[in-house]
Amino acid sequence: MDKLKKAAKYILEQLVSSGADAAQVSVSEGRVEEFNVDAGEFSLIRSVFNSGASMKVIKNMKKGTASVNQLDKEAVDNAVNECMAAAETGVEDSALSIAEKEENGDFVSGELTPDKEKFFDSLIKFTEDVKRLFPEIMLEQVIASYSYGKHVFGNTNGVLFTEEDGSYSVNIMYSAHKDDNVTSFNYIGVDYLDPAQDILETADVKLMLERAVKELDAVPFSGKFTGTAVFSPACLCDFISTITDSFTGDLSLIEGTSPWKDSLGKEVADPSFTLSVIPLSDEIVCGERITADGYKSENYDIIKNGVLESFSLSEYAARKTGLKRAKSTSGCVKVQCGDKTLEEIVKNIDNGILVCRFSGGEPAGNGDFSGVAKNSFLIKDGRIASPLSETMISGNLAQMLKCVNGISSESVNYGTCIMPYAAFDGITVSGAN
Amino acid sequence: MSEYMKKLISDINDHAELRMQTARTRRVSIVGGALVGNMSSVSKGIGARVYKNGVWGFASKSNTDENSAKEVLLSATENAGLLSAKIPKNKGKLINAQCVQYSEKRAFTDVSQKTLVDFAKEVDSYIEKKYPALTSRHVGLSTGCIEKTLYTSEGSFAYQLFPRTYMIVSMSIEASDGTNIELFDVMGGGEGYFSDHYSDPALLFPMIDSLYEELINKKEGIFPDAGEALCIIDSSIAGMVAHEAVGHTVEADLVLAGSVAASNLGKEVASPLISLTDFAHTAFGEKAPLPVYVDDEGTLCQDAVIIKDGVLQGYMNNLESALHFGVKPLGNARAYAFSDEPLIRMRNTAIHPGKDKLEDMIASVDKGYYLTRTQNGQADTTGEFMFGITMGYEIKNGKLGKALRDTTISGVAFNMLKSVDMLSDTVSWDFAGYCGKKQPMPVSMGGPSIRCKVNIGGR
Repeated sequence: MDKLKKAAKYILEQLVSSGADAAQVSVSEGRVEEFNVDAGEFSLIRSVFNSGASMKVIKNMKKGTASVNQLDKEAVDNAVNECMAAAETGVEDSALSIAEKEENGDFVSGELTPDKEKFFDSLIKFTEDVKRLFPEIMLEQVIASYSYGKHVFGNTNGVLFTEEDGSYSVNIMYSAHKDDNVTSFNYIGVDYLDPAQDILETADVKLMLERAVKELDAVPFSGKFTGTAVFSPACLCDFISTITDSFTGDLSLIEGTSPWKDSLGKEVADPSFTLSVIPLSDEIVCGERITADGYKSENYDIIKNGVLESFSLSEYAARKTGLKRAKSTSGCVKVQCGDKTLEEIVKNIDNGILVCRFSGGEPAGNGDFSGVAKNSFLIKDGRIASPLSETMISGNLAQMLKCVNGISSESVNYGTCIMPYAAFDGITVSGAN
Repeated sequence: MSEYMKKLISDINDHAELRMQTARTRRVSIVGGALVGNMSSVSKGIGARVYKNGVWGFASKSNTDENSAKEVLLSATENAGLLSAKIPKNKGKLINAQCVQYSEKRAFTDVSQKTLVDFAKEVDSYIEKKYPALTSRHVGLSTGCIEKTLYTSEGSFAYQLFPRTYMIVSMSIEASDGTNIELFDVMGGGEGYFSDHYSDPALLFPMIDSLYEELINKKEGIFPDAGEALCIIDSSIAGMVAHEAVGHTVEADLVLAGSVAASNLGKEVASPLISLTDFAHTAFGEKAPLPVYVDDEGTLCQDAVIIKDGVLQGYMNNLESALHFGVKPLGNARAYAFSDEPLIRMRNTAIHPGKDKLEDMIASVDKGYYLTRTQNGQADTTGEFMFGITMGYEIKNGKLGKALRDTTISGVAFNMLKSVDMLSDTVSWDFAGYCGKKQPMPVSMGGPSIRCKVNIGGR
């Protein structure tokens, strides 16, 4: 860490001596040990040793940024020159700033040394388990990795943070096959700390593989109805990410295009809906300790009991819009569980669809979305019925949150986010005919 | 400087690659007049990949000196050895690896950040003054170059530059129902440096005017009727059909993982009007939008014919899959960063043109849609594709009607291609996109306007 601190100090000194009014720097080093499975077979072990420095400077209320992935003097000096040159060409903007000094800190989390052998053995066990228990499943690709990183964040206001963390992750892309019949692919990504973890029993991996086998009987949906869509935890996670990008993120608030721009403190969702950002939670693997702007991260609520409590803004966007910056810049989110099981929620749905993956275009600025409901099942008369193919769904994200039919009491922890099943009314389901 | 690479790699018995890369990027982003992005970056490093009995080891470092090269080769060799020992496949050597020599003649040409910022500011200023009713505007300018030096254990050497520059302008306006309507377009650019494509910002103004005009049409737009519809997919977005609907399903790694193309080789999968090729560096008699001459396994790049007159002819391969299928590798193995291993990737994938005129195609539709702009897309193992539509028009009795709001189209690739009954005589290319598949990759895609049946989302 001393080497990184020294590099950070040097870069800040160079930026200041080059005329910066304010400057910040982030210097990092890390490694990735990765195992790849392709078409069900181990194919590659990959080791990546990386480093980098990114810097931001403000001069005469103009901003420049530069990054470089080498930490030798020549590379760093060139990046400093580029950064200053960029600032010279900038546009004056009074919203530019660097973090104020509050309380510096050093943070360590996760597993700092990989147990490559145990990890490899757990992956071998997983591929063998899948072959034995799910002969129809093809592991199209598994990318399993251990990632370690250490980084120093500093600025000319005296902010100095260090962070060191390490964790394991597995990303599984799979489909089911029988003769010439093939299902849509689906994927699961999970972060965790135990190299010997039983991957099949992690998160909802086993359940999703079981569902994939059932999808071999999928039939194209015919007709059209407006009903209830139940999103699986992984699918809900993707929707939440889209909602936060479109409605509470920097660009939509700076541009003023967010439909929630005037809704702070107002009801934007059903009272049963609470969305929190929880980078410090014990349930989250490593999480975030320092925001991208250089503040100590904190947990916070975006929506609490249906009311919009906070946007997820960077400090720049906050200053630009006159709103508050978010207490974390991480994507570690959790939707609060409800009080009914998935089975109880489904029991009350006459016409609906269980959506386990959504493949769609970017939603419109107002939240209108449409796309293909992949890996999905028809819900009919209170039961999860036939698996579907060639089925599209459409709706509006903002409206959808106000039409919560139910949120499940069970949830799935993916290490970076924790999600229940969530059912929303008013979704249009359509087939080719 | 790279002589040590040649020496080090020649000591490896199995197939191995040693690749040094420098990626230089400059980006400018202006949102509503504020310069929110003003960035330059340099990423440099060396990566090695070693093959052993059917498995691979890879390692990379962000230093490019001789010691780092030795270390990554050693680490890659150890990784291949570890995997081979635990998962013995005993597949022998990659006997189809080639020995080619290629050296780029052009030199890297940089541009100052000031030039980029000034150019983008002038474009933004034009939009601000001419179209005050807009609720937001965004001008993004990106230029960069990836420089690759490759040596393989078979003696291949390739030095290549992959420069690419493009500008994206997006704008939005409020519709009468309070909805914010957005539209974006790529304004010029392509393979090459900034000065190869841009000189006077005023040359872009007609494109901006045209985008605004379409935005105004979209403001009054309607939602299509959900369900299957007869559509004319404009040539400007036909590349999505080539890339998403077909391209991914015929990448040999996905074929081996059981994609729908696995059981269709040699079979009729499309209308006889359809021919589709993944072009290496020259397409339809001209330089392809993003030419590739030697891939990252040291294979000379040649065109991969995928569909000819409606019949599936072949897949896109790397050395390993080409050996598996008993075909010649045509140079589809490409890596994005120095720290990435080569994967099977598309290059310039396009549907060949037909003989019809676009206006005749539109006139032939009694009830349907003319789809003109897209944003993103996704493929599937099953061949079921989707892509987002950001601009289009309804067609009624052979004439264009009201504009469309954002929607999505989907279909099963081979079913959709069998429904094609008209193709226009001109091809358009899209060169500004990235394909996502473990790693990002700049790709181009193209095709003529297509008359076909697809599912369209709506209300």
